[in-house]
Amino acid sequence: MCCRWRAVSAALVLFAALAACTALAPTARAQGDTLLSPTYGRRAPTVRGIAVDARMAEDFGLRPGAVVRLSGTPGVPGDSVTVAAVFERKADPAEVARREYRIRTHVDHLQQLLELDDRVDRFAVGVPDSVPIDSAVARINHVAFGFRAHKSADVAVQSSRTFRVVERFHRAIGLITVVASAVFLLCLLLLSVEERRRDIAALRLMGISQATVVRAIVIEAALVSVIGSVIGAGIGWVSSLIVNAHFQQVYRTPLLFALLTPEIFAFATLTSLVLGIAAGAVAAWRLVRTPPLTLLGR
Amino acid sequence: MSMRATLALATLRRHPSRTALAVMGIAVAAALLLDMVMLATGMRESFRSLLLTRGYQLRVSPKGTLPFDSEATIDGATAIVSALRANPDIRAVSPGLGATLALPGNRFPSVFSLGLESDVQGDYVLDGGRDLPPPSNTTVNAAVPLPAVVNRAFLLRSGKQLGDTLTVASGIDAQLRTTARARVVVLAGEGRFFYVPAETPVMALPLRELRTLLGSAYRDRMSVAMAESRRGDSASVEAVRTWIAQTQPRVTAISTETAIRQVEERLSYFRQLAFVLGAISLGIGFLLVATLVTLSVNERRGEIAVLRAIGTQKGGVLRQVFLEGFMLSATGIAGGLLLGLVTARWLNGILRDFPGLPAAFDFFLWSPEAAWKSLALLLVSGTLAGLLPAWRAASIPIVRSLREDAVG
Repeated sequence: MCCRWRAVSAALVLFAALAACTALAPTARAQGDTLLSPTYGRRAPTVRGIAVDARMAEDFGLRPGAVVRLSGTPGVPGDSVTVAAVFERKADPAEVARREYRIRTHVDHLQQLLELDDRVDRFAVGVPDSVPIDSAVARINHVAFGFRAHKSADVAVQSSRTFRVVERFHRAIGLITVVASAVFLLCLLLLSVEERRRDIAALRLMGISQATVVRAIVIEAALVSVIGSVIGAGIGWVSSLIVNAHFQQVYRTPLLFALLTPEIFAFATLTSLVLGIAAGAVAAWRLVRTPPLTLLGR
Repeated sequence: MSMRATLALATLRRHPSRTALAVMGIAVAAALLLDMVMLATGMRESFRSLLLTRGYQLRVSPKGTLPFDSEATIDGATAIVSALRANPDIRAVSPGLGATLALPGNRFPSVFSLGLESDVQGDYVLDGGRDLPPPSNTTVNAAVPLPAVVNRAFLLRSGKQLGDTLTVASGIDAQLRTTARARVVVLAGEGRFFYVPAETPVMALPLRELRTLLGSAYRDRMSVAMAESRRGDSASVEAVRTWIAQTQPRVTAISTETAIRQVEERLSYFRQLAFVLGAISLGIGFLLVATLVTLSVNERRGEIAVLRAIGTQKGGVLRQVFLEGFMLSATGIAGGLLLGLVTARWLNGILRDFPGLPAAFDFFLWSPEAAWKSLALLLVSGTLAGLLPAWRAASIPIVRSLREDAVG
């Protein structure tokens, strides 16, 4: 009887211990660690991993392996998560001015944090090469309820609208600058040619034809324009380096803000050449039409 | 008109095309400078007047975010709003909840909806029809159509008119093709919404009813609250902001100044571009006047020598040339003012195409103080540009110049 009572007591104690372990280790159970597991209650709970953007990692001194707390509600301590990776954000002009930090989590992790159940913002769908995208979009939209499918190219067009507005603004400023430059060029060439009215009068009196004088001035204007364009391009190239260095540091982005391409250089030089020749021709023609003696002030 | 002014005018009229070109060049420089000043100051002033449209100097948003910068909402809204209203330094509090509602059977599938309290709302001004009913504690009668205020974009895109009804829904289940909650709304009024892009359809609903429509998860949530300090000076507003930050840890309170600073940070690229182009315009204007006056002086060495020979003092010659530079600059700037206003309107139209820009926001805004200061700066620099040639003109050796002019 005494031995039987000891055996029953031992069984009761063992049962109580097992019950206590079960109550105290819900996380372990939730992680799939069962009573039959030899490491039951002794294995550490799995910590989810997240990826942080490079700016956040730099500002907070985070490296892969660092443990942080993540919560969906301000003021609530949240769960411990580990930094599994650091990623570099894309050079997206639409987001460059936004200074927020970004992290990436697994979908189910974020759903759990935000108590969103089975909800997402979007799906990205890949179709086989043999399937036309338009027909895939049409088929999805035919059965869609509460969502719509769009082609990635159309989304890109919409999301790049910010960038296109900035592009249009730059073109407008460029147009104003070209008009202003044309006026300045014409004004300065006119002044410089008029300053040499006596020299031109002398050439005319010597027998040099009007066409020769005009040609000489036009060639001079063209040379000045080309040399000015090259110098201007050099200044523009140096300026673009400074602009990129400055704004890349301000916005902490690899995005290029200014770029001088061969096409832009060719366009600027050609425009300058045309304007310079036109301005020189106008200035020269005005002078050669005036009688030489009048130019001399007689 | 004084003799000097007459002489200066005559000098400029002697070469009309040259003068016209120089005036045109200065006008373009002045226009560009004016535009850049309007851009640099306009964004700030436009955003400030946008934020203060209804007098609310403070915005309360989810912790770490700007209002409507994300989809985050604030829980426990009722308690927070009550606490704010209990503060004697706060005159009014306007809570708001933003959400997307589905529009089954409509030309477009969804609409951005704002839940507001009509008696304190600061998000729109009514242009026609009836406003939302004031908030009440009576039981919501789901059978009665809910009054809504929509903007012009909504009416145009939906093809509806005031008085028409439509169904709004939430809680879409894509698999079962059902909605959890739906309600019939009547388009009671048309409003002009300050903080929503003009091309975006928007619908304002009573806050309590919108929360009911969105389900139990939104029972006590809000996206933003606007607060008006009883005293409007910046120190009092900042004191209220600090009090909110200390007593409400789950939210971020930002004042108008802070919001402006943060938006300016995002738009700093345009301010810096404006500064660079403005500086270049100033330089170009200076260069143009200096060149023109210098060439004019070089041409008239003999004439100036004659003036000196008949007894005109150096100071007189200096003032004469100065006056020419001043007249040139002043005429150019007058033309530049008109040209600048026209180009500012054009450039503003381009930048207003930014997606998501509030309807009442402008990039180029006329600020009299800033504009007159910048144009005065250009006038002064243009006038001073004639300083060196004027000094050289006054210092011309009389005899040698007369001889050179006579001999040729």
